[in-house]
Amino acid sequence: MEQKILEIVSQIMEVPLESVTLASSAETISSWDSLKHMNLVLALEETFGVLFSEEQIAELTQVGTILTVVAKLAKP
Amino acid sequence: MKLSFADMSKWLRDTDRSGFLPFRLVVLRNIVVEPLETYLRYGAGCLGINLDIRWGDYDAISAEAVGKASKWISLDTQAVMVFCHLEGASRALAREFNSLDRTRQDAELARLADWTKAVTGGIRSKTQAMILWQGFLTPAYPAQGIFDSQTSDGQLGAIRRLNDAVRDALGKTPGAYFVDLDLCRCRVGDRHFYDFRYWHMGRAPFSLDAYEEIATENLKFLRAAAGKAKKCLVLDCDNTLWGGIVGEDGLANLKLGAGYPGSVYQEFQQAVLDLHHRGVILALCSRNNEADVREVFRKHPDMILQETHFTAGRVNWNDKVTNIRELGAELNIGLDSMVFVDDSEFEINLVRSHLPEVETIHIPMALAPQAGYLLMSSGLFDTLTISAEDKRRGQMYREEASRQHQLAAVTDLDGYYRSLEMRLEIGFVDGFSLPRLSQQTQKTNQFNLTTRRYTDADIQAFAQREDAAVIFVRLRDRFGDSGIVGTCILTFSQGEALFDTFLLSCRALGRGVEDAFLSQALRLAKSRGASAVVGEYYATDKNAQVSDFFAARGFEEIESGDTGTARRFRFDLSRPVPPEPEYFAAIESPVTAPGRD
Repeated sequence: MEQKILEIVSQIMEVPLESVTLASSAETISSWDSLKHMNLVLALEETFGVLFSEEQIAELTQVGTILTVVAKLAKP
Repeated sequence: MKLSFADMSKWLRDTDRSGFLPFRLVVLRNIVVEPLETYLRYGAGCLGINLDIRWGDYDAISAEAVGKASKWISLDTQAVMVFCHLEGASRALAREFNSLDRTRQDAELARLADWTKAVTGGIRSKTQAMILWQGFLTPAYPAQGIFDSQTSDGQLGAIRRLNDAVRDALGKTPGAYFVDLDLCRCRVGDRHFYDFRYWHMGRAPFSLDAYEEIATENLKFLRAAAGKAKKCLVLDCDNTLWGGIVGEDGLANLKLGAGYPGSVYQEFQQAVLDLHHRGVILALCSRNNEADVREVFRKHPDMILQETHFTAGRVNWNDKVTNIRELGAELNIGLDSMVFVDDSEFEINLVRSHLPEVETIHIPMALAPQAGYLLMSSGLFDTLTISAEDKRRGQMYREEASRQHQLAAVTDLDGYYRSLEMRLEIGFVDGFSLPRLSQQTQKTNQFNLTTRRYTDADIQAFAQREDAAVIFVRLRDRFGDSGIVGTCILTFSQGEALFDTFLLSCRALGRGVEDAFLSQALRLAKSRGASAVVGEYYATDKNAQVSDFFAARGFEEIESGDTGTARRFRFDLSRPVPPEPEYFAAIESPVTAPGRD
């Protein structure tokens, strides 16, 4: 799941996979604006079959947090 | 296989699209629809188009379209999509409907209709680009509940009237089209179409499924405008046109008829026939004994499709790759104009791997009940207009077959041409011929010197220019009316004329029509005072057959690129115009009389 999330972040933000880590965030990736964020949220929902709440959407601006939230929501 | 949003993003990041056809799209909107970009660019990429999308500022439709200067729309814009969400255009109609009386309702509708006209007209004043107006969505739960549908005054009725008014306004603007978002909503399902979280968080109303379907619908327009609509449907027989295998089960045991299970196949045949009636050419491709298949067509009482609906066929034991190649050559159309339908995964994969240009639709037995739906949902044959010509196309191809038959009986070619009693009509473009001419520029690949694709609006613009002329040639003979078969656009500058466009439909090739049409165009240039005519040839992977067209007709080559991909020729009009071939029974021309100088 972690690897898949790193891939999705790199694809949506259009940055090399090597540059994305669990510590990456909207602060460290310059292309991560609000529109890209929406694309990221929708892509994560589609890939993992989950639905985020508005509060969660607002929180998902850091890759580590994304992993925690997706892991909590995704069915085992 | 369906790619996910992330997969498409990856494909876009990693695929070199520098060799693709560039296409510049501007999106005007009063909502956030940016996730569309991924679907649009990916879908366009699959068509060999590299889409460059410029996003107009949020809620700036009027400013961009009607304002004096536009930030994004320019002369080289090729398409403009307009997303006008009802909420933003009229909060009253969208959210406060029950507080409106009929008078205020009508006033709102009139205001919006006028505004649409102003926006469309404003865009048109800045560019000849195709306009794709996204229709207003009707609500699945209208303001007046179950009563809403009992009256034409309801919210549904009001939005439908609004869409009708928009459609009227667009109809008066060449090259402007109505994209029916309600159809997209139906296909996706209303419950899956909206994302209410993002509507509130960022004025982005749609779900990912909705964006995908909206992109698919809009791409059908781009496909058609780029000349990539398919022309020919190639059909397997056993378990595709009928249930069962004729060679094994026998004629009497085939599943085909009004009742189940034969209705599955009869309904598919009906869908195929209806496509044929809008201009799709049909061909058979079946591994079978020809006599067996012929017997089904001639003797089975429940066949909807008849032999006369098919223009060509390969019913034999050769592989389908060879057969489809031969069909393309016989019909004189490119493999990338063909769609192949089969129930067999093996045959589909064989064609996919050997002829990737051919589009395939695999309809395994389990999906046979929805075969017609699958065929229509592909949108592969969709065109911007359906002309009277299209409806007659199948018949015209059959007439061509009769001509070939005649040719076999005559040995000298001029004698054969004479025996056809061909009559040409040359004319200036008018309201009736305009859609056909733009369609020709969009669809003609082989006999096309410059392969410039034009919309109705582009052709109209040429027609209105003092320094340009648009003419067509229509062909009739003793076997029938081939309709408009050629388009020529001349532009005039500094005392010389230039062939911006010179093309001929493949169904008119090899009969000297191009010679007569060229002579007529030269006469026209001369009558307008030009001292010379310049012809250009731009190579594509389809038009090699015309690379020497001008050179073979007395033009002098004045320039050619190193690679021979662009060549320029000149014909000095102080020389006599070559005479039209004598074997035409008549050439009617308001342009200028045929004859000899």
